[in-house]
Amino acid sequence: MIRTIHGIHYAYKQAPWRVQRQWISTFLLIVLGLAMIAALYLDVSARAALTGRDIQNLSANIIAIQQSNADLETRIAELTSNHAMETRALALNYQPVQANQVQFIIVPGYIAPQPANLVAAPLLQPSAPTIRPEFTQSLLNWFDQRLRTPISVSTLGISQ
Amino acid sequence: MLAGVMTFVGLSIILQVIRIQTSPEADTFRAWAAQNAEAVQTYYPERGLIYDRNGHLLAGNKTVYEIGVDLKNVQDKQAVAKAVGTELGLNPDDLYNLMAKPPSNLAYLILANYVDADKALALQQLKNTTDQQTPSGEQSSLSGLIFTPHPQRTYPEGALASNVIGFVSREGRGYFGIEEKYNDLLAGAPIQVKVPVDPNKAADIPQVPNGTTLILTLNRDLQAATEQILDDSLTKYGATGGTIVIMDPRNGEILAMASTPRMDLNQFWNYQTIYDNASEYNPAVSMPYEPGSVLKILTMAAALDNHTVTPATTFLDTGAYLIGGVTIRNWNDQAWGLQDMLGCIQNSLNVCMAWVASQMGSQNYYRYMNRFGLGHATGIDLADEAAGRLKVPGDTDWYPADLGTNAFGQGVATTPIQIMMAASAIANNGRMVTPHVLYALVRNNRQFNVPAQYAGSPISTNTAQILDQMLATSLQNEASQALIPNYKMAGKTGTAQIPVVGGYDPTLTNASFIGWGPVDDPRFMIYVWLEQPSVSIWGSETAAPVFAQAAQKAILLLNVPPDNIRSQVAMP
Repeated sequence: MIRTIHGIHYAYKQAPWRVQRQWISTFLLIVLGLAMIAALYLDVSARAALTGRDIQNLSANIIAIQQSNADLETRIAELTSNHAMETRALALNYQPVQANQVQFIIVPGYIAPQPANLVAAPLLQPSAPTIRPEFTQSLLNWFDQRLRTPISVSTLGISQ
Repeated sequence: MLAGVMTFVGLSIILQVIRIQTSPEADTFRAWAAQNAEAVQTYYPERGLIYDRNGHLLAGNKTVYEIGVDLKNVQDKQAVAKAVGTELGLNPDDLYNLMAKPPSNLAYLILANYVDADKALALQQLKNTTDQQTPSGEQSSLSGLIFTPHPQRTYPEGALASNVIGFVSREGRGYFGIEEKYNDLLAGAPIQVKVPVDPNKAADIPQVPNGTTLILTLNRDLQAATEQILDDSLTKYGATGGTIVIMDPRNGEILAMASTPRMDLNQFWNYQTIYDNASEYNPAVSMPYEPGSVLKILTMAAALDNHTVTPATTFLDTGAYLIGGVTIRNWNDQAWGLQDMLGCIQNSLNVCMAWVASQMGSQNYYRYMNRFGLGHATGIDLADEAAGRLKVPGDTDWYPADLGTNAFGQGVATTPIQIMMAASAIANNGRMVTPHVLYALVRNNRQFNVPAQYAGSPISTNTAQILDQMLATSLQNEASQALIPNYKMAGKTGTAQIPVVGGYDPTLTNASFIGWGPVDDPRFMIYVWLEQPSVSIWGSETAAPVFAQAAQKAILLLNVPPDNIRSQVAMP
């Protein structure tokens, strides 16, 4: 019986070189898989770092643009200051109006100008976070969260 | 064999990684990484802007530059000193000496600060040109120069409304006026923050908010016109100083507040050469004085409301009235005979008013003066407001004679804004308003308007309306120089002798006028105070015509139709 078993085992046993090749192939497949994951991770990390640098540069640009806006607004205010406007008006031969030169007329429905409202339009307020978790979590954290999250009935699409 | 070699190489790499991670030097490298993980960065948030009620910028920010040198990277100190000195108008020798012998342990030296952008950019252009002309691999002669932009407060209107706005020092702190009162809201002080260097932590970059923007109740054009009127009146009447305040008596909004002297806020360092003390910066709120006869309107209001007198009550004016051992006399030392209360106000009779106050009694009189806010700050949102002084029974320096003198505005110290707040009760149907300069706040793209605040009702609506008509009638009856065509105004003159040691100077006065209109729907209240006019000592001849000029400007700039037009609009 034992000789039969040995015979069958010897008949179907692979050649040693085949076994070696299987082991090497398996090992290489694992290494390849790890290499692909590493490459993907490096690619994403590099892109995240580049984007982070862009954000830093844009933050600095925002500050510079704000300063520029302030300078321009000040310049406009200087050009339209009371003194500047009066000087220009006098140079154009405008004369200050006197009270007895003004004629008031009744305009039905007239609404007097109101003091300044410096807010042009309300900012859009998003009602929900605009960045999904997939874009702020690392791969491992995302996997971990998915494993911990219980599977809900609605996720499975089961209706009752 | 190949597999063994590969395995050995792989294991070696892994072992080496583990060895490096656990080596003693690893802690040093981790410490370096942690040290350089964040950089200290100075943020210069913009100080909030200040606008007038029509959106004209009164206080803004402009970019100025700090010019410094990195002492480690400076190659040619002579060249740097010459370039900076030439462009900025500084002494190159001083700059060179500063770089040659810097204070110990300094790696960065400031050569000039608050440099205008055009000069700084010209210098920067010179440096860029020099850098481009320098052979590759070498450092240019201007290397080491560092340009750091930061905001600086600027006032596009110069000296306009300087008494109200105040100014900001180079340290970013506000002094006087709105800049001091709302310094914390306006903010804009530089702050140092640790910013992550790691680009993966870009989301952690702090967002430093700018200061809050303010909209004032001032009307820029009316303010400019008022200042011009004030300056012209000082010249015309030979006054040493003056104040004109224009307020909306319905809600307390200050439309214009002009005082002398004023200063260009962009040259705030001249403050000490212009003002001797802080109270001179804005006399309208900071400098109490004896108001004289303008205070008679409050005495009459109190007496009418207390039912001590009615408009028809008569008084025989003999030219003198004894109270508390002191004889009160009229402004011309004459007797005026039988007068009703309209006559007492119209002719500004000290004797009559002292009698009225004595009829009320000190308890009632001072109770009303307290309700009018005399002796208390109004709460106006400007720095350095003075509360004035009203002596009351019980004070160690109050005497019974004060009841008589206070009745016509002597022996009591008030600021113009206090009188205006009190008088707003007469103009506004008994409802007294708190004066304020802030119209709205703007933050995070939202505007918050400041509501009107009411300071109580010291007199009834009926009393206010009666006195309103009396004051309008008295102006018309005496053909006051305060009257303007087609508009019914109410008001009162004041001529107060100035106290000196031992008494009052008969030749020096404070001339005042308070008035408002149109009487049926008052849109403005104007207080005029001329200090020591030399052309004439009387308020009726100096302050009253100034009121008329200011009122005419207010009518034009506030678009107030004449009485006949408004009555047509009001008709159903």
